[in-house]
Amino acid sequence: MAQPLTTASVPTDIYGGDEVSALVLDAGYCQTRAGFAGEDVPKSVLPSFYGAIKDTSAASGSRNVFGEDFIYARPDFEVKNYMSRTESVVEDWDTAVQVWESMLLERLQPERRQTQPSKNGLNDGADGEGDVSMEDAATSAENAENAEKPLAESPLLMTEAPWNQGKAREKAIEIAMENWGCPAFWLSRTPVCAAFAAGKASALVVDVGGANTSVTAVHDGMILKRSIQKSHVGGLWLSSQIRSMFDSSDPKIEPSHPPQTQLRPPSSYRAYEDERLLTEYKESVVEVWRGPGRYSNPGNEDLVKTQPGRIFEMPDGSNQMWREQRFRVSEGMWDETAQLPTASEEERITKAQTVPELIRACLNAVDVDLRPNLLGNIVVTGGTSLLNGFNDRLNNELMGMYPGMRVKLHAAGLTTERRFGSWIGGSILASLGTFHQMWISKRSTTRMVPALSRNAASKGFLKSWRLRIDGAWTPKKKSR
Amino acid sequence: MFKDPDTDDYLPYHTYKRKKATAAANGGGDAAKPEDDDEFEYVEDRDSSEGAIYPIQRGRIVNMAAFLAFLDHVHQLLTTSYHNTPIVLMASPQWTRGDNEIIARFIFEKTKTPALCLMHSAFAAQYGLKWLNMTVVDIGYEKMDVSCVWDSNLVAHRSLDYFTPGLEAGGNVLTKKLHGLLKDKGFTLDMCEQLKKSPLAEVLPYVATAKNCMELPDEDVAAEPLAHSVVEAPKINESTIAAPSTAGDVENGVDDKVADEGVLDVANIVTSGNTREFLAKKEKEKAERAKAKHRKAQEAEAAANRPARLPNAKRKTNTFYYEETVHEDVQVPLSNGAPKVESMAPPATNGDAAATAVAEPTPKVEGDAAAAPAPPAPTGETATDVLPFAPEATSSVTERRTKRIRKDIEVGLERFLFVDREYIDQVARLIYNTIQSIPELSKRPDCWNNIVFVGNGSRLRGLKENVLQTLISRYLISPSTATMFTSELPSNMATPTGTGSQTPTGSTSGSLPLGQLPLPTTSSVNPLLQAATTASLGVPGTTTADAHASHQSHAQTPTSIKLAQLPNYLQDWSKAGYEEAHFLGALVAGRLVYCVHPGNDMVDAQRLSSLSRVDYK
Repeated sequence: MAQPLTTASVPTDIYGGDEVSALVLDAGYCQTRAGFAGEDVPKSVLPSFYGAIKDTSAASGSRNVFGEDFIYARPDFEVKNYMSRTESVVEDWDTAVQVWESMLLERLQPERRQTQPSKNGLNDGADGEGDVSMEDAATSAENAENAEKPLAESPLLMTEAPWNQGKAREKAIEIAMENWGCPAFWLSRTPVCAAFAAGKASALVVDVGGANTSVTAVHDGMILKRSIQKSHVGGLWLSSQIRSMFDSSDPKIEPSHPPQTQLRPPSSYRAYEDERLLTEYKESVVEVWRGPGRYSNPGNEDLVKTQPGRIFEMPDGSNQMWREQRFRVSEGMWDETAQLPTASEEERITKAQTVPELIRACLNAVDVDLRPNLLGNIVVTGGTSLLNGFNDRLNNELMGMYPGMRVKLHAAGLTTERRFGSWIGGSILASLGTFHQMWISKRSTTRMVPALSRNAASKGFLKSWRLRIDGAWTPKKKSR
Repeated sequence: MFKDPDTDDYLPYHTYKRKKATAAANGGGDAAKPEDDDEFEYVEDRDSSEGAIYPIQRGRIVNMAAFLAFLDHVHQLLTTSYHNTPIVLMASPQWTRGDNEIIARFIFEKTKTPALCLMHSAFAAQYGLKWLNMTVVDIGYEKMDVSCVWDSNLVAHRSLDYFTPGLEAGGNVLTKKLHGLLKDKGFTLDMCEQLKKSPLAEVLPYVATAKNCMELPDEDVAAEPLAHSVVEAPKINESTIAAPSTAGDVENGVDDKVADEGVLDVANIVTSGNTREFLAKKEKEKAERAKAKHRKAQEAEAAANRPARLPNAKRKTNTFYYEETVHEDVQVPLSNGAPKVESMAPPATNGDAAATAVAEPTPKVEGDAAAAPAPPAPTGETATDVLPFAPEATSSVTERRTKRIRKDIEVGLERFLFVDREYIDQVARLIYNTIQSIPELSKRPDCWNNIVFVGNGSRLRGLKENVLQTLISRYLISPSTATMFTSELPSNMATPTGTGSQTPTGSTSGSLPLGQLPLPTTSSVNPLLQAATTASLGVPGTTTADAHASHQSHAQTPTSIKLAQLPNYLQDWSKAGYEEAHFLGALVAGRLVYCVHPGNDMVDAQRLSSLSRVDYK
């Protein structure tokens, strides 16, 4: 009955990782995930969409609210996103800091203001066993310096897109170190984390996320930079295909109710709410043609038409049976000729942007000797990869593309592991005892930052051994 | 918790300093002396909440020091012997990891407990209600959170956010809303609180067609003045029971008199000789007459009360008794050795029983005045005093008296209106969003079928029903007529591939364990049809059957929404309601973890369920 324990959910005490509560932050276009290292799911998952309420008294002219609960129709309201749709990197740093602070500091609250040891009652009485705090003079001086910094006790590991720019990396370090006073910090690439979550140091990571699909070769915990491929074939693209299908169907389907209230919600809000419904539709109706061969091959569609379809009920109560349409919407991911007409030109995909072609391009960019190993270790992650039949189709496509090679897909069985793959990898990484030696410590950053942004962090963490200049940050033993 | 003004410690009760009575009595000479500490005494006032610090707000611990002091106080109250017992502490989901660490450290270091079990409140509720899969909706004082437990694992959790005011649910929120409506009529917050707790305040059933989805009573049935036609709070029931019975006695007395007044021709009887016979007959007649009279009286009473029998929901206005405790300092004349407690004002009879203040003598329970039910005093105004902490007086003394005053107040439709659509919507939306955020589709139906409301914020009459009706009307996916009668296969069967592999695999086969393939192997009935025909019936026992073999015809959820059946083997709990089921569950869990000695195979599980002192070190 119970799900087997996965690599990610092994109790933390085995790592010894709970000595320090390192934080892991993984920001994507659709969701931002944050939690404690060593846990198997992020404690706090917020949409990267946020609500901006017009507020003339505020300096920027609007007041931001975060979290799904607050995104509801109200006057002078706009739904925005702090990430960039095309790149999945931070676009609006001011808001990013607000979102992250709201997650890391308020929701997780890794360290609350401790009361003074003399007053918290722990040391009262003769039998009080609370021993004196172990901080020596030097660290307490450092503490005093960090006293007002909110994260002075928690190391932070952040993930970044593999194509992240040096400037953005510098900014992230600056925020973590200067604003929050993190004692240690690390930036890790999402494909590396996803590979770690699957228990592999070398893998071909196929990450089919919300806004983007990326294919990256990871070798020994380092990404091979030339191999990075990405396209916008992701969950949102699929949603636009579904919209296009709804529009062209007869009668035309409106994903969400026209507003019944006097309040006219802005189009951004409407789009956000539609997305919720489309997510449900994707979860329960959309299916990927499993192959072999393409869906457009003769005979396939007729076969599907004879099969029972699936029913989906719209919020207005109307329901409809979907048979062949549910295969057709997802076919564009594999076959650019099968995609439905899209509203805007940038939504269109070219042949090079389909999933099989991304993998081919990625493999072509790596050394020939590495290819067999990569093909045998393909890690599939990302929420959109949960589409029914996705893995079967991917397997079929790869077998067709590389006949005679051993192709093996690794996709986590648990939904959460697939959706939060890179966060989980980060969580494992940050909780490893050995990893603590590689953190960038506060003291070393001051000298390192320029060098770091140029090359160091981009070369994977193995290189960072050499960067440990004056002593890595080591976890302080907590006073008991 | 209260802050000690002198030190930085926390005190459990409101404590204030006042001049000792003796000192005051001794007069001016002594008072002139400064720096005499003996002159003052510290007084604990257990009823006052002046200057209180609330360590937990909206589920979050906002003042850790105060919270720890509170824990310590509770622990001291409970520890009566030197025997050290393990501790089960129910943790609210809002507590952060840092909180839990500090609490664990505090408990192990401050107390001598051998083991500690910090328990998520949703699991505690699960222990109390025994379902394997359920959605626990916990509505508290100012917080609300929803946790989905599937196969004893927490699969989804959401709470109304702590950080933005305005988005809140809970008992106090409702009190405030009620206060907002009734402020103009002179209601205080305390009055609103009592009104909310009384059966008068209720949530009307969900009516989709009506405005704001509730049907307010419009005809003014209660217009005629009815003094006693009151649906009363259970607490004061005794008085109403007492009142009619005395009335009946009076009537019987009158009856007797009337009967006696019938003039008997004694001589005639005596002469007729059959005196005994006659007397027996007369007696019988009298009894019959009395009976008839009594019946008539009863009928009249019933007629008078008929409008009152209308359920509260149908009445436009209703009257509720408001009881308040009043403290006052009264100068009491010197009383040497005499009992301290005496009746001050003799019962002043008051003819106008309808709308005057009714005071009840307060029992002489020290401190906790509300503990015992007060003896009924149907009419009149009495005041009896309690001297919880009066000093041994030797002369005229200021005493602190506690009076209970009862007023009856008429309230209008506000008692229904205060739970507005917005509030219900918010609750329903949170439940929907939480269950739909469970990543595994296959787990959602189980959670939809076992919704449990806990927390005293959900105690309000009709709230649960209304939320459930709202959920059903808004989110329930009705089985589609398109396939209900036609298709043989459930629609979530995977499409057989062209390769000839005809083995059907469930839509979620990746994440389903073997025993749970969503194929209806047991019955040949189309599960959709089954769902359509049985969902509305609420067949008893289906919940248990559904727990695992539930149909998964639609991947889209929910196809049915049900409240979980509450256990009925605990009579007292069934009577009082399962709003505090999580406490019950914590008791059960505590017993399971620490008291029951299981077989060898369970020892490990038992050991791992709590942190022992050995592991802590």
